[in-house]
Amino acid sequence: MSGAGPASRFPYTPRMRRRLSMPLLLLVLVAACSAPAASPESVPELPVVSAADVTARLVDSSRPVVLNVWASWCLPCRSEAPLLERAAAEFAAEVDFVGLDVRDDQDGARSFVAEFFPGAAITQLHDPGGDIPVALGGSRGVPLTFFYGPGGELVSLHTGVLDERTLALEIDEILRRAGT
Amino acid sequence: MEFTLLAAAAAGVAALTLDLRWEATRGNAGRDGDLGEIAVTAAVVGLLVGRLAAMVGDGVNPLLHPADILIVRGGVVTGPAALGALAWVAWAGRRHWWLVADGLSAAALAGFAGWHAGCLARDACLGTPSDLPWAYGRAGSTVTRHPVEIYAAVLLAVAAAAVAHWKRAGRPRPGVPAAVALAAAGVIRLVTEPLRPALSHRVVGWYAAAVLVGVAAAWWRHRATPVPDL
Repeated sequence: MSGAGPASRFPYTPRMRRRLSMPLLLLVLVAACSAPAASPESVPELPVVSAADVTARLVDSSRPVVLNVWASWCLPCRSEAPLLERAAAEFAAEVDFVGLDVRDDQDGARSFVAEFFPGAAITQLHDPGGDIPVALGGSRGVPLTFFYGPGGELVSLHTGVLDERTLALEIDEILRRAGT
Repeated sequence: MEFTLLAAAAAGVAALTLDLRWEATRGNAGRDGDLGEIAVTAAVVGLLVGRLAAMVGDGVNPLLHPADILIVRGGVVTGPAALGALAWVAWAGRRHWWLVADGLSAAALAGFAGWHAGCLARDACLGTPSDLPWAYGRAGSTVTRHPVEIYAAVLLAVAAAAVAHWKRAGRPRPGVPAAVALAAAGVIRLVTEPLRPALSHRVVGWYAAAVLVGVAAAWWRHRATPVPDL
């Protein structure tokens, strides 16, 4: 099309194209900088557990525990996963990190772990019925994060997405409770 | 629960708007409507840039997970967010750059003060442990802590009031109030940052850079421009 049509009389079109090209280029660069995901096949099936199993694990623990409840279909869970992975690496020597996948299937769970928790020091468990968080005193909503002192003492429960300040504060609280 | 961030953002916008209106009545910033629009858009642009930076830093691909961009609570990186907001202000106010920057200087500080004071709605004011008389703890906790976000809110509010008063009474040269406000925001974040809980390293380089750039810009604008006529 030549430049004589009505559309071409809109004076900002070429400039707008140039303006749009820069954000698009940045977006592509942003995508290219993101880390590639691991293969779901490389992740073993998550062990199915009961409320009694989880309670026993908490009571037997001599260290503080962060129990994060997630699901692969949960959008906010994806958002907080990198933060939990970083915290698990940072506090591996002092705190046990446990992930509990609820109301989910194994394929979804493994894909999620492969993408968001590759190599993380987090023990992942599977609760297809989604009843364990309620049995522990929480709700059926996700994400949900329980913070326990040693011996399974519930220190606090955070409903919704974690931010770094909140997570750091809660971990500090359970470490102080443990006398670390 | 998740709407508490919105409450904090609303507190920030309210403080910014109130400051602009208050200054407009005193002849500090004539076009308060334009300035408010630029400031709020800059905040949204900054939030977007900071969120994208956080996602990339965490290894989450924004193209594969575009909806995650909306989960602001998942993290926003302050430095890129500030640069994004400043870039928007520079672009939107390109015809009257110093007028816009100076007009927003006190209001931006007031907006930040409102945002930090929004911690009261989010139950997120507390920082590192402290035995000071005004330190307090979370419900059920024996550990008392610095109300660090309240410190930041008070300091930013004082800085906003000082800059607004100075603009009116001190006849600063064009660009100097904006540069001083940038430096003040950097200093306040820099001194309060060690009191905030953090997972590992504390990123203070961005705040130090804001202080240096603000001081250098204030010096440059002071030397390069004549005293404005009354």
